[in-house]
Amino acid sequence: MSEGTVQSLSRIRARAIKGFLRQLLGHGGAQLGLVCLVFFVAVAAMPNILVGPLQTAITATGDFLAPPSGQHLLGTDDVGRDVLNLVAHGARISLTIALLATVISLIVGTIVGITAGYFGGWVDVWLMRLTDFFFVVPSFVLALVITPVVLEVMGRGGEILGFRPSLFVIIVVIGLTSWAFIARVIRSQTLSLKERTFVDRARIAGSSDTSIMVRHILPNLVPQIAANGALVVANAIYIETSLSFLGLGDPLQPSWGTLLSLAQRAGAASVGAWWYLGAPGICVLMVSLAFVLIGNALDDTFNPRRRVIP
Amino acid sequence: MSNTSKNTTPPLLIVDGLTVDYGTKGVSLRAIHDVSFELRAGEAVALVGESGSGKTTTAMAIAGLLSPNARVAGGEVRYRGSPLPIDDDAAMRPHRWSETSVVFQGAMNALNPVHRIVNQIAEPCVLHGMSRAEAMARARELLELVGIPADRGAAYPHQLSGGMRQRVMIAMALACRPSIVIGDEPTTALDVINQAQVLKLLVDLRTKFNLALILITHDLSVVAESCDRVMIMYSGRIVEDGSVADIFAEPKHPYTRLLMDSIPNPAEGKRMLRPIPGDPPTLMKRPLGCAFHPRCPSAMAICATEAPHLNAYGKGRVACHLHNSLAPADKVSVNA
Amino acid sequence: MPDNADILRLENLQVSFPMQSGVFDSILGRPKGVVRAVDGINLNVNRGEIVALVGESGSGKTTVGRVITKLVQPTGGRLLFDGEDMTTTHGFSTLRPYRHRVQMIFQDAYQALNPRHTVFDAVAEPLRSLRLVENRAQLTERVSEALSTAGLNPPQEFFARFPHELSGGQRQRVVVAGALVVKPDFIVADEPVSMLDVSIRAQILQALIDLRDKYRLALLFITHDLPLAWLIADRIAVMYLGRVVEIGSADDITLYPRHPYTVALRNSTPQVRRDAGSGGIQALQGEVPSAARVPKGCRFHPRCPLAFDRCRQEEPSAIEVGPQHLSACWLAK
Repeated sequence: MSEGTVQSLSRIRARAIKGFLRQLLGHGGAQLGLVCLVFFVAVAAMPNILVGPLQTAITATGDFLAPPSGQHLLGTDDVGRDVLNLVAHGARISLTIALLATVISLIVGTIVGITAGYFGGWVDVWLMRLTDFFFVVPSFVLALVITPVVLEVMGRGGEILGFRPSLFVIIVVIGLTSWAFIARVIRSQTLSLKERTFVDRARIAGSSDTSIMVRHILPNLVPQIAANGALVVANAIYIETSLSFLGLGDPLQPSWGTLLSLAQRAGAASVGAWWYLGAPGICVLMVSLAFVLIGNALDDTFNPRRRVIP
Repeated sequence: MSNTSKNTTPPLLIVDGLTVDYGTKGVSLRAIHDVSFELRAGEAVALVGESGSGKTTTAMAIAGLLSPNARVAGGEVRYRGSPLPIDDDAAMRPHRWSETSVVFQGAMNALNPVHRIVNQIAEPCVLHGMSRAEAMARARELLELVGIPADRGAAYPHQLSGGMRQRVMIAMALACRPSIVIGDEPTTALDVINQAQVLKLLVDLRTKFNLALILITHDLSVVAESCDRVMIMYSGRIVEDGSVADIFAEPKHPYTRLLMDSIPNPAEGKRMLRPIPGDPPTLMKRPLGCAFHPRCPSAMAICATEAPHLNAYGKGRVACHLHNSLAPADKVSVNA
Repeated sequence: MPDNADILRLENLQVSFPMQSGVFDSILGRPKGVVRAVDGINLNVNRGEIVALVGESGSGKTTVGRVITKLVQPTGGRLLFDGEDMTTTHGFSTLRPYRHRVQMIFQDAYQALNPRHTVFDAVAEPLRSLRLVENRAQLTERVSEALSTAGLNPPQEFFARFPHELSGGQRQRVVVAGALVVKPDFIVADEPVSMLDVSIRAQILQALIDLRDKYRLALLFITHDLPLAWLIADRIAVMYLGRVVEIGSADDITLYPRHPYTVALRNSTPQVRRDAGSGGIQALQGEVPSAARVPKGCRFHPRCPLAFDRCRQEEPSAIEVGPQHLSACWLAK
């Protein structure tokens, strides 16, 4: 009997997920965003197979700043590297940074938001002041302050969790400056959720505060977390690009931002090498747009204000 | 009773075979089926039913306030003899509020929290062509009419109690001197004492202005002292129609009888619970034949296959095979 | 029934909330107002007894229920459960034994069930939180038992359903099952049928009465509906503005009320079978005053049709007007 329950439960879940996906895919925006995203994820997953290993100045195959041709579909850079090769490898770095930073900010933001909203009082006041602080700290300034310190301590050569220090710094900085937004959204949702009767019922059922937060409030926050998470990714890609453009990136693991920075320094704009600036630029634009579209579609799907029967 | 004495005058409102479907993406669900009745000036009629019975859909159709996914699949509504364009939002606009107005259930949701109530009452007057000053004077007059001192008009909705807010809703409904007022569960959110006050107010206003009143409620006891006539709805159809006195004295339809029995009456001294078995049907799953037959204590074989017609019976109408053995077979199934 | 058989006793119970003061008030150092939601009530409920707590919104009846279920801490008086003082007990682990014995049924079942939990999880929650079962088989057995006692049969069919897939009556049954599953001695039912369709109400009430008969369960039934209270309760306590103004057997309170407020409540109820020449609905004038500004003297006097000088000066205390029938009115003698 218990097995049957589990089975029918998973069937119901499967049906719910199918219905959800059908509704989500009904959005034109979501379709466009997902297609775009799947393409870039595929590229990021296997750049070596698609375009060969990352080219360096030594392994460069083309002329300097050659325009797009049959051999180099997106032209070459100022040391003769294939731009397509660079952009494909950049996708891996850019997406990894953005996703990891988003995971950090979602975890921190959700924990802070739920705790502040659920307990209220002094806990809320102090956590929210902390949130306000991170809300207003400009990520650039924070990055500029932290980067030299980390580099000093770790040295440029070392690795932290498989990342070279400068990339690690970028992930941490984006994570630290993005969670405040999530925390505010989650807190306000928690404030309204904790007044719901099912929280009273859980308390009377003998549940602890932690259990109420994890089992009752968190599942009801999933829509907010997912929808805002997608927007945070878009924002993270943008911040990563900006930070790398300012030279905080790592030239040995070039992200799209690093490429833009290199293109700028090589004077791509002034010599008319539009492909060198344009390729990574358009990638950044498309991926951020994809996440924004998906985020908006998720938000729409999770808030069904249209019912069949009034 | 006023409906019998006024039978010679033409009815103010005729609902004729009204059928409304809700639908999205190819799925169509019948909300009300072949609803017909007449309403005379000054008459108070109650539409009583449970959730999903179609009472609200009926009333919203009359007021031209059907939701966008609703479709009038048949029948019409005639006001003073001419058909109302009930499924055309723009064409209904001049009729709404000046001919038919609605008192909604949740006054807190229907009132704008950031505007003073006197301004909100004046709003429909302005929209129907009054000057600002006239409208404000009218609004103050209306407040007094519903028993709120005019100087409380400067209050915001949250500063008023539930009963007071419901009075404001009534004042708004009366703003353009309509001849029909629809009360959509106007007292459901209130407790007994406020409910009594609001009901009394509605009854007084009705006599004062010769209003025709359509009271939508799920609570049969509310009807007793405020209406002349009751129509009981079940699963999208009117199952019984008659004067309050007749229906309360001798309900014909088994459903009506069970509803009557479920009202506790201390004066009679019988502390007995008589539960109606089962759940009310949903729009998605509606039984074939008479929709009430799975719960009906007097169901017969025919009830499971044929939906009974709403036929004249005594002074009223009833849709039940018990009172209808000679009626022609109903070929139209409810879920058509 | 012996007198000392009561399972719940409230002695001079008080709950007050500090009023939210505006920015200007705090700058000017104005004292914070206090809302006395429950202002000293005495009430006892015996084993196997159904007591109805009747009053308008704002009478404090819901707050009483929330105190008993330990969602709100009382600010004065005592809460005794089965002889044990529970007034100041708090913290989820210390309250576990109490939660095991005292449960609650809510007015709005849709709100009381987590939309993302299945029926099984909702009903199993108290068993898991209170650690009342040892294994999955036991859990399934207890949940099935509770669901079928609450009238959801066969129970297995409901396990995997979500609240939005149920009808209003079925949802309320799930809430009832969630309260029963721990086999409590006492249930607070806060307007358990007011959101339900009329034809479903009697089913739920019957289920509650059956439980009382079967398990000698005691019930505090909170409602604003006097005839409904009469239908289900053994005794009725009428509350007005934080106090119990009249208490007695269901028949005494409904048929022979001795407090003008109870009379007003009774007369506000629409009469289904009208006697010829009855005056129709008699509505009490005015509204319940704010619990922040309780009138001096008898708190009902501003609305009372029978009020006289003494009522404006002195507050009457409850006096016995019949067997087990108390009324707090100067005219009750």
